[in-house]
Amino acid sequence: MPASDVVTVTVTVSVEPPAAFAIFTQEIDLWWRTGPKFRIAGKRRGVLRFEPWLGGRFTEEFESASGPQVFTKGTITVWQPPERFHFDWRGVNFAPGESTQVEVAFEAVPTGTRVTVRHAGWAALPPDHPVRHGQEGPAFIRGCGLWWAELMTSFREFTS
Amino acid sequence: MPKTELSATLSALADRNRRAVIDLLKQQPRRAGEIAAALSLTPPALSRHLRVLRRSGLIDEQGVEADARVRIYRLRKQPFDQLRGWLGEVESFWTGELTAFRDHVERSKNRRGGAR
Repeated sequence: MPASDVVTVTVTVSVEPPAAFAIFTQEIDLWWRTGPKFRIAGKRRGVLRFEPWLGGRFTEEFESASGPQVFTKGTITVWQPPERFHFDWRGVNFAPGESTQVEVAFEAVPTGTRVTVRHAGWAALPPDHPVRHGQEGPAFIRGCGLWWAELMTSFREFTS
Repeated sequence: MPKTELSATLSALADRNRRAVIDLLKQQPRRAGEIAAALSLTPPALSRHLRVLRRSGLIDEQGVEADARVRIYRLRKQPFDQLRGWLGEVESFWTGELTAFRDHVERSKNRRGGAR
């Protein structure tokens, strides 16, 4: 897997790692953006939840015409509060067995906690995967939170 | 960016050999013979890859005045700029979520009287 098959984004928050970890995971429904770009349910607001243990699920629950539904967006593969947790991430259009990997790290810094999200695994999706075809922008993000980034580094070098 | 262009760009780049061609052309424009030698590809195999890259607009070819048989291949910037714009949009997804997270942390902290 090439090292460029990774998206890394960081933010620094002014609380210590245990609080940052707890807020990130337990309060995700309160901070994760709402609306059809960011939640599956679209107009009806879905509720996001992490089950806080190894093997726990990352779910979105929402009301549909046929009653309440739960979509499993991911499964926790590493659970080490307050330092890190990892989960497999699936878009609604992923086939069984297809997923990408998200790692969230919490690192103490003088001003609080540096939170780093590292999202990898795009290159492992098959070339004809819908993530790579026919979807773009917001629809793509809503469905998968994904991007196709194997060549990200060289593109940046080339276009910057 | 029109959907078809994005798909064409991504499909063209979904092949390891074609990415290798792009890497070579990033350094400088090159002749087909040079590319084939550098990548150990047979001329027919390279031709196929060059055709896909040309159709998707990632590269173009130019003749050389001195020798009508020689074609020089080079990258076209436009699709890369478009792809970069699109990748930036997707990257901003996580940036947006983390910003929302930070804002929520600050609000929670104020509500809790600033206690850490």
